[in-house]
Amino acid sequence: MITIDALKEFGANTEEGLTRCMGMEEFYIQLVGTMLNDANFEKLDSAVEAGDAVAAFEAAHALKGALGNLSLTPICDPVSEITERLRGQTEMPDLSDVMPKYKEALERLKAL
Amino acid sequence: MKDFKSEKKKILIVEDERVNLELLKIVLQNDYEILTAEDGTRALDLIDNESSLSLVLLDLNLPDMSGMDILKGMSESEKLDNLPVIVLTAEKEAEVESLNIGASDFISKPYPRPEVIKARVNRTIELSEGRMIIGQTENDSLTGLYTREYFYSYCDRYDTKHPDTEMDALVVNINHFHFINERYGRKYADEVLQRIAEKIQAHVDEHGGLASRREADNFVVYTPHITDYTSLLEDISEGASGDGKDESIVRLRMGVYPKVDKNLEIERRFDRAKMASDTVRSTFTKAIAIYDNALHESSQFSEQLLIDFSRAIEEEQFVVHYQPKYDIRGDEMVLSSAEALVRWKHPEFGLVSPGVFIDLFEKNGLIQQLDSYVWRSSARQISEWKNVLGISVPVSVNVSRVDMFDPSLVDDIDSLIAEFDLNHGDLILEVTESAYTEDSEHIIGTVQELRDRGFFIEMDDFGSGYSSLNMLSNLPIDALKLDMQFIRSAFKNGKNTRMLEIVIEIAESLNVPVIAEGVETAEQLFTLKQMGCDIVQGYYFSKPVPENEFEEFLIEKQEKGSDEIRVERNKYRKLAHDRHVYDAMHDPVTGLYNGSAFDFLIYDSDKDHTALLLIELSNYDEISKAKGSSAANRSVIRAAEMLRDVFRASDFICRLKNDEVGVILSRIDSSHREIIEGKIHQFKEAVASDEQGVSGISINYGLVFGDEENEPDLFKAADRALKTKKN
Repeated sequence: MITIDALKEFGANTEEGLTRCMGMEEFYIQLVGTMLNDANFEKLDSAVEAGDAVAAFEAAHALKGALGNLSLTPICDPVSEITERLRGQTEMPDLSDVMPKYKEALERLKAL
Repeated sequence: MKDFKSEKKKILIVEDERVNLELLKIVLQNDYEILTAEDGTRALDLIDNESSLSLVLLDLNLPDMSGMDILKGMSESEKLDNLPVIVLTAEKEAEVESLNIGASDFISKPYPRPEVIKARVNRTIELSEGRMIIGQTENDSLTGLYTREYFYSYCDRYDTKHPDTEMDALVVNINHFHFINERYGRKYADEVLQRIAEKIQAHVDEHGGLASRREADNFVVYTPHITDYTSLLEDISEGASGDGKDESIVRLRMGVYPKVDKNLEIERRFDRAKMASDTVRSTFTKAIAIYDNALHESSQFSEQLLIDFSRAIEEEQFVVHYQPKYDIRGDEMVLSSAEALVRWKHPEFGLVSPGVFIDLFEKNGLIQQLDSYVWRSSARQISEWKNVLGISVPVSVNVSRVDMFDPSLVDDIDSLIAEFDLNHGDLILEVTESAYTEDSEHIIGTVQELRDRGFFIEMDDFGSGYSSLNMLSNLPIDALKLDMQFIRSAFKNGKNTRMLEIVIEIAESLNVPVIAEGVETAEQLFTLKQMGCDIVQGYYFSKPVPENEFEEFLIEKQEKGSDEIRVERNKYRKLAHDRHVYDAMHDPVTGLYNGSAFDFLIYDSDKDHTALLLIELSNYDEISKAKGSSAANRSVIRAAEMLRDVFRASDFICRLKNDEVGVILSRIDSSHREIIEGKIHQFKEAVASDEQGVSGISINYGLVFGDEENEPDLFKAADRALKTKKN
């Protein structure tokens, strides 16, 4: 189950995230759940696989904003990195080092 | 029917990321009715058809079109004129671009604190409705500069138009403007303001930016960055007093917050400039101050202290120190009471001086909590000394102005007395003079009530406020405590104790004893004693010390055979009457200081900066034999008068023996030898040519300079010099 403590353990800056949620813990946890179902994760994966740099950038960029707002740092950091590498690119750059990082963090979050 | 004013405004949030949307909704839903659109098509539809929208929050990345395109479209169709847009984005470049296209503001991702979001939304709507400035005129009728409200909104507009220009925020004030108003009249003061405004306007005409007279003599300028404002300030100052008037009448000060942070709200930028300007409020040498890192840190530091306050109270980080007060009326000085002074043992910053936090806490009312913390600690301590040492010592505590407005004050302090089984005389209350002068009726009432319960009231910082004598005579007080500033300035740069004398005379006329704080040297103590001061505290005796160290004073006192230190009102009153009895420091014949005064003064002097001159009237005995002792004494008096003429008022002339006078010269070292010897020569000449004095005095002298003497006892050294000269 997702709890504030578990999120903290996971590496989220819960203090910051909670501030944005006006201090409401349940609401915060609920939004983390919403985040996990975000379609942009799938879009990012398939775009990367298909070598579509533009679509991948759009998905990563959208994820970055939302992850940042929830202060889910362990996922937000690699996704930001991915966004920056994709920015302005038409050819798919090498993401083989960061993609596993982001996926690993996402799996860890899902496992909570 | 729904009240029009209470109806919520409608705002549209255009955002496709669920999480971001929900976050904005939770922050804003209490204050606004919220419509949402998850793509551009739906957004445009709502913008076109919802007539009563107040604001659009627009994400730039939408699934079907770019937010930037929506913004462009709105700008082209002049929709933006009525419907402001705040852009939501994580990209710095996009922020600037969107402002260029006509967005009113932006909110960056990750989002700032909810309060910031609310404030920005609120302000954008207000500005677009012109609500802030309804009923306001755009220009100040006196100077023609913008009025405050227009100025701020135009600053925003200026930023929008010049997003890449580095800007400075300036505040210009006239020192003691109210004085100019009173002294030279309103008409003249108005002309001064007009002249200043003209120069300021000329600067913005040339360099860009805009200016306002915010209120009274407070000018604000928002202008592109330049490195040095000295010439601008000089230019404004020049001629501000008017033709033929003394230039020094109008003195200006300026605070500069250079290269403002444009993320900071516009008013806050000028707060910073003002903060800088306040640092040169009372300095004469510096008229421009910059809001720099140091100032930024100090303001952050203050903020941190405010945040840490409640925790500090809980964790008892505040510690109370006690400074002894001594009764100096008799030959022997006697411990009479103590003042409780608070220190902050901050876990991070170490010992923080009250000079740093008291003002701060006074400004925002936290002082009330701190005061009652100190009262309680002191009461507990007094009771502990009573129980453990069997000694009863009154402790004075501060009662701040805000405390006086707490309706439960009297009962609260009274219940402390009961709780710790104290007498009312044990806890003396210090109320600052300035508290009496503002809203005096209320304060006097409260003080009266406290006195009726049996408390003793000392008026603190006396001399710093503006009490009129007439008002003072009606005040219910038991003692006057002199403002430390009086002691300091009276003894600075030579000695000018006239003001001190006046203040002590006032106390005398009120028939209350005088307490002096901040006494640091024997010279000060001695002079205060001479003037009739009754009780003294200061570093000369002891700095404020923790309770265990203070106990040593108590034990010492106890060993001298008194286990009760008690201030009684009658005795207190009586103190005021018999202060003039004391004369043990004077030679009764000549009125000069005597040998014990000399010991006192020489012991305390700073040897390296002191010279001692011993003068022997070598034929004193002969004169005495030939013409009688009173004639001989008159020679001494006459000689002393001449010494006074030659030496400075701050030099002490003491009669040590019948035929010997010592002059203690302070702030003198051997580099002044020629000057001093010149003075001695002058003195000898005066004696030789004296016509009205008793003729035939002959003089021997010995002069030593502390900085070149190995002998620690200057008197011995001077005596030796005198004898060597004689032989």
